[in-house]
Amino acid sequence: MVIVMEQGATEAQVQKVIEALVEAGYDVHRSSGVQHTVLGAVGTPHVVADPRSIEMFPGVREVIKISEPYKLVGRTFKHDDTIVDLGGVLVGGPEVVVMAGPCSVETREQVGAIGQTVSASGARVLRGGAFKPRTSPYSFQGHGETALRWMRETADESGLAVVSEVMDPRQIEMMLRYVDCLQVGARNMQNFDLLKELGRTRKAVLLKRGLSATIEEWLLSAEYILAGGNMQVVLCERGIRTFENATRNTLDLSAIPVVKKRSHLPIVVDPSHGTGRRDKVIPMARAAVAAGADGLLIEVHNDPDHALSDGAQSLFPEQFDTLMGELRVIAPVLGRSLPLARVPAQR
Amino acid sequence: MRQRQSEIDAWRRRIDQIDTQLMRLLNSRSACAVEVGRIKAELGLPIYMPEREGEILERVMRENPGPLDPLAVRRVFERIIDESRRLERVAAQKSHDVAQEQNQE
Repeated sequence: MVIVMEQGATEAQVQKVIEALVEAGYDVHRSSGVQHTVLGAVGTPHVVADPRSIEMFPGVREVIKISEPYKLVGRTFKHDDTIVDLGGVLVGGPEVVVMAGPCSVETREQVGAIGQTVSASGARVLRGGAFKPRTSPYSFQGHGETALRWMRETADESGLAVVSEVMDPRQIEMMLRYVDCLQVGARNMQNFDLLKELGRTRKAVLLKRGLSATIEEWLLSAEYILAGGNMQVVLCERGIRTFENATRNTLDLSAIPVVKKRSHLPIVVDPSHGTGRRDKVIPMARAAVAAGADGLLIEVHNDPDHALSDGAQSLFPEQFDTLMGELRVIAPVLGRSLPLARVPAQR
Repeated sequence: MRQRQSEIDAWRRRIDQIDTQLMRLLNSRSACAVEVGRIKAELGLPIYMPEREGEILERVMRENPGPLDPLAVRRVFERIIDESRRLERVAAQKSHDVAQEQNQE
């Protein structure tokens, strides 16, 4: 951190700032100019000083942060890309990993059929909601543990891994028995108690970006999980709130290169929730892969018009298959690949 | 041209000699700072003593014969003091750790 003192700052004011920084454990570099005195605070303090509180000291004109507030998620802490293992499926490696499935798990047959079809198209992970955070308490809330069991069975039949959303720390232990990755929804991104509990597990976590969260806040949420000792975190961009209302949210694809530069964690994109309509999902999915995303999270439904939630944004199985074919053409430009499609096994 | 070049070389040799002396002197000064750091740790005194730092800076600026202007001398000594403060902190930390280990035994 660099502290610039006011032009007329007194020696006593400068000394107060140095004293506070030294007490926090910083090494201070002082440089007295003709007009301004500049203090550089470097090193590894035992108490990280809040730049805003330093700015409140009399005589301080400006405090400039030079290091990021997060540590473990940063590239400076770990230079090489982290590869996250979702039950044998590696996210962050050379393969673009596509996670597909229904918004909510409705019946055993429904999830079974969708699992078969997305697996045949080249998806590697089955996504699906067992607990649904809904705006209204009277909307369909999900089938809970039963849905997770159906997903596990489907995934094992179709050779997929399972990702599903956890909403409450009390659900974690039960969910660990069924899923390969615990998803944290956008509305829970700053549920710090949930993040801390996930930090104690050694299961992969898919952390969605909050609707109004900056990239820095998002990375700080990931820091909570890593700080607990769980390094298996995948970030997921899903759209943020802006003034634009032609789409439900604005899918911030520029987050991909920003995150890639700042963090070693893999980042995937969910084009379904942000755009909210299936005709927008496909182009944004292509764009996400072109921008360097490590994977996609896509809603696919065998009968979207009768889906119990988010039908309008779910792709038909044929559309999903076409999209996967397109992605196989785009990915090699970036030196990456997608698994080949195969003829679905007869059940 | 060639004569001027060898003049530069001669001055550079002189600079190198002075740097060696400076380096030795700075280290002698640092050794003193380490001792001060240890004693400060024993007595529980703070590492940062602005009055003492102010005295040093004032004195060197007053005694400065030039051609460095006083503010330049001040900045150079500020850096020397910055590093001494760091050394004192490390020394204080070490003697603190040693004391704790002895307490445990």
